[in-house]
Amino acid sequence: MSGRCGVDVIRAFDASAFPCGIAGSVPPFKTTDFVPKSYRKSTKIMARDIELAVVAADNAVRDARLATRGILEINNGKPPDESWYTPDPARVGCNIGAGLICADLNELTEAMARAANPDGTLDLGRWGKSENPDESSGMDALAPLWLLKYLPNMLSCHVSIIHDTRGPSNTITCQQASAGLALSEACRTIERGQADVALVGGGESLVHPMGLMRWTLLNLLNRSGNTDPAKACRPYDKRCTGTVVSEGAGVLVIEELEHARRRGAHIYAEIRGLASCASGLPLGSADPAGEPLKHVALRAISDAKLQPEAVNLIMPPASVVPQLDQSDANGIRAAFGHVPAITTPRGAIGDAGAASQALDLVFAAQMLNRQMLGPTLNSDQPLDGLPLVQKAAEAIDLKNVLVLARSLAGQHSAILLGRYQEAE
Amino acid sequence: MRHRVVITGVGWVTPLGHDVETAWRRLLAGESGVAPIRNFDARSFPTTFAAEVKDYRIPPDIAASAKHKNISRATYFALDAARQAWRQAQLPAPGSAEHQQLNPYEIGIYLGSGEGSLDFAAFTRTAIGNWNREAGQLDMPGWGREALKSFEALREIEQEPALPINHLSLEFNARGPALNCLTACAASTQALGEATEIIRRGDANIMISGGAHSMIHPFGVTGFNRLTALSTLNDQPQRACRPFDATRSGFVIGEGAGVLILENLAHAVKRGATILAEVVGYGSSADAYRVTDQHPEGRGAVMAINEALKDAGLTPADIDYINAHGTGTKENDSTETHAIKAAFGEYASKVPISSIKSMMGHLIAAAGAVEAITCVLTLRDQILPPTANYSVPDPECDLDYVPNKPRPAEVDAVLSNSFGFGGQNDTLIIKQYKA
Repeated sequence: MSGRCGVDVIRAFDASAFPCGIAGSVPPFKTTDFVPKSYRKSTKIMARDIELAVVAADNAVRDARLATRGILEINNGKPPDESWYTPDPARVGCNIGAGLICADLNELTEAMARAANPDGTLDLGRWGKSENPDESSGMDALAPLWLLKYLPNMLSCHVSIIHDTRGPSNTITCQQASAGLALSEACRTIERGQADVALVGGGESLVHPMGLMRWTLLNLLNRSGNTDPAKACRPYDKRCTGTVVSEGAGVLVIEELEHARRRGAHIYAEIRGLASCASGLPLGSADPAGEPLKHVALRAISDAKLQPEAVNLIMPPASVVPQLDQSDANGIRAAFGHVPAITTPRGAIGDAGAASQALDLVFAAQMLNRQMLGPTLNSDQPLDGLPLVQKAAEAIDLKNVLVLARSLAGQHSAILLGRYQEAE
Repeated sequence: MRHRVVITGVGWVTPLGHDVETAWRRLLAGESGVAPIRNFDARSFPTTFAAEVKDYRIPPDIAASAKHKNISRATYFALDAARQAWRQAQLPAPGSAEHQQLNPYEIGIYLGSGEGSLDFAAFTRTAIGNWNREAGQLDMPGWGREALKSFEALREIEQEPALPINHLSLEFNARGPALNCLTACAASTQALGEATEIIRRGDANIMISGGAHSMIHPFGVTGFNRLTALSTLNDQPQRACRPFDATRSGFVIGEGAGVLILENLAHAVKRGATILAEVVGYGSSADAYRVTDQHPEGRGAVMAINEALKDAGLTPADIDYINAHGTGTKENDSTETHAIKAAFGEYASKVPISSIKSMMGHLIAAAGAVEAITCVLTLRDQILPPTANYSVPDPECDLDYVPNKPRPAEVDAVLSNSFGFGGQNDTLIIKQYKA
């Protein structure tokens, strides 16, 4: 909200070989501070994507005052105070979107170096079994549970174990659209009576050599030469030259309304409309007219039984890639006669893949709750004159926020969040 | 109002054959799809065999299509399986005038597909070539420079688990709800269950659903070997996977795809489609127990089975056959047996149960879809596929596992289980369609 930017030179590894060596990095944290003592050992089998999700889930569960197994254990078996609520584990779901988790290159290469040929290739004949019976093989250098660090469903699994959520659990892997789709799926499980509460969102770290390499080769990244990282990422701005990779996790506690009311929970926002669709187009391309985005936006609005005029604020996909941003602008214009205010945190954060829409949803819920509009950083020359919110401002009756996402692979998700008012 | 959901087409690419009838015939004959690994040189590995899709030829028009360049092995399987299912459902061929009459937003996709495989040559060479032995770490600038020259953009992004649904969306111009869930070994069962829910609530009329996966690559087999989850009976690969047998010693990794066309009943009836079966129940739960082990009493599995029965409005006595998860690991098969007993009570000993993984191997994310198709064929032909390699009874597993020979039976409703690493449990119930 304050307009600070989280994009800076990458410090997690030496990225000097990459033309774009900047990213939105999460400041240092210790995952062990966010799990019960009995679970500390398990943090060793968490890739960074998983760690981020575990920390975000801890934050969300505390904010919602859910005295889950993890919270009780950290707090010596008791809820922190009487306002906390102990849910029935079977009635809590967990639905956290994930990306393609990258292996730790140093760990894997150290193992491979044991079975390397002189020409620098891997000798599979020595990878599984060492020639010297007294020596362990390349494969044996990897921890027995190595594979489990990289399974995408481990974000939800660790969170479900820590907080004892035994209801419907899912892992949507649709890149930037994952978190909205995860929220939608969890919402439907609550609607059909399979759960009262669900932890939903997404987590991913693209601040990894493999992630940075992939996004560089796909020509998605910023061309501003690393000179002014805070000003590099310009969503829907005429000077946009590409995005920056990022990392993070966002987790929201969603809950059946009456259930939340009964336990006296603080309600940030109401989920009013859900929609999803696919573009039917090749990877990385978008319909020039923005037709699928228009479709998914209108469908979420009609799911909420509202008209487009009821939307006060749009959080668009913000790929921060010129051709994709133009497609969004066209789709939004086609869907809305009068385009409402638009904002995105992408300029401050970058693109965190499967976490992106989760962060947008958290941001949207906060804006509705505080009745504030958040700023769009670095975009004071808006594409097509889009009404981007430039500076944080108090909102006049912010009722409905439409959160849109589109993955590189063409999956779209739209969530309409509304202001919750007790009188309604 | 909740719409009824029927199955109007099925297709698969499996270790036992690349079309439905061939592999089904071989399953009933008790044949094995397991053999020494050919995808790479696995001779030094603790496990040297797998259930590979053998002698596979990509359909020539898919191979030639500009839309499907550089795609991963599993995505080819998914496209092929989806086309088989689409054809069987007698839906109009993509590109035809009739196809253009379809509303693309009414056709969705929900797969439980796995990640594509790593560019092994580029990955190993760039890593090893830049390993600084003294420092015990990679020379990152060196790795970065070489990686940017060695890896190919498309090949890399095609590893994203969202890519199979992207290619199906392209192939069929399907623009409805599009999701991929990757919940380990339960993924495609969960995809089918959630796709069913999408049609039930009216968000699509047709869902292309199932899964595809191949982990038969060096690091995939490495991962499972390190977990000691795979059978290492290298001298008898075809006998290695022994679900529910006292001498079972691990699962056999497989690869492939299974895709089903799920359809709103009214939509299928209106267009005069042949209805193969109806999806009547879906249950899903999490163990919330351990990352490595199932809950010893199958707590989550029991909940998934019970939820599916409740969803279908059926009782255990209505279930004529259980297609088990049945991986052939010590832990899974006894836990699953325990869970079936807990959920089915006295009826547990009466219901026949089998695991086709004994022949097909474990197709990981794609396993549930291939097993759901098996359930459809079981209903069609009124015959139960056997559990192969069963010879020594285990006191922990004392139910009827349809050992070694297929069994003709009257089958009206079948239940299929899938359980994944991390405690994911999903159950589907499929039934004969009656108007």
